[in-house]
Amino acid sequence: MIHWADDVGEGWDEILAELTRVFQLSRAAAQAEDSIVYVVRQDDLLGRRGAGNAMVATGLLSAARTAALEGARKGWVANVVAYDEEADREAVQAWAQRLLEAGDITGELIRVGSGHVGRTLP
Amino acid sequence: MNGVVVVTGAARGIGLAIAEKMAGTGSITVVGVDLAPELALSEHITPVQVDLTSPEGPSVVRETVEAAGAPLVGLVNNAGITRDARLVNMADEDFAAVLEVNLGGAYRLSTELAPLMSDGGSIVNIASRAYLGNFGQFNYSMSKGGVVGMTRALALSLAPGVRVNAVAPGLIATEMSMGIPEEVREEMVAAIPLDRMGTPEEVAHTVWWLLTPLSSYITGEVIVVGGGRSLS
Repeated sequence: MIHWADDVGEGWDEILAELTRVFQLSRAAAQAEDSIVYVVRQDDLLGRRGAGNAMVATGLLSAARTAALEGARKGWVANVVAYDEEADREAVQAWAQRLLEAGDITGELIRVGSGHVGRTLP
Repeated sequence: MNGVVVVTGAARGIGLAIAEKMAGTGSITVVGVDLAPELALSEHITPVQVDLTSPEGPSVVRETVEAAGAPLVGLVNNAGITRDARLVNMADEDFAAVLEVNLGGAYRLSTELAPLMSDGGSIVNIASRAYLGNFGQFNYSMSKGGVVGMTRALALSLAPGVRVNAVAPGLIATEMSMGIPEEVREEMVAAIPLDRMGTPEEVAHTVWWLLTPLSSYITGEVIVVGGGRSLS
């Protein structure tokens, strides 16, 4: 399952709805022993596009790490791709697909673009 | 240092330790927020017994702060719950409950109180080392990861007047952790380089430091109080 995080506003109900949607998709994937990749914006991991988008992006990163621990016992993986604004979407999707199929890489964050350099490592 | 500091989840454990530490600092009035009735037992805390996930919860806290008649200088978002299960078995209601309390409560209270905070004020969000991932805690881990993102976003939006940081405790000797089966707890302690659980007071010291001007050039950071567990 590859999930691109939706943009959300600053209202809690909208934020919770997106996190709940990700939870339900992830649970279904885990039950089917399918791997998981979340795709988020690098700016959101740093809180640069508002609190709502930040809470979703960093929430997904932490969720992927936990899912990775649980999936390791069953042979599926969970990873995150973070992309810069100027990144080519097809390249981002290709990285997501690669991580989905990489059975030996899990709990990782792959950044597409250089926007993270010199900034906080999430 | 003088003014009002709000601490949520202040009835016990880490929240109580933070509230008592702050109550002994200068002329601080501590407004403690919790659902538990034990909240009223501490003589150092002005109690507000309210559910922060209710529509009126954050505004009840705001009214109490305004009535205190002193500037709001600090907010500690500490209230949290767990409802552990493996992802494959996690119920919708357990997911929602943890997200509502741990993330929604902190976010809604922060946005309610931020306009009241004085220049030089400080918000400290209690995350958890589980934001790095923890088996059986998809909901809790996601909520605490969200707290980290909220911390960074608010640090940017409230600068330069208000600083916002997070503290991520590891295994701390609280009611919550003492509920873990003893053999499991012993295994967890064995993986901690400092070879013991932390105390609520050790977390409170770090939070206290982030609330005071001693940390005046620090914002948007996450400090792990975990005995080195993130390395082992």
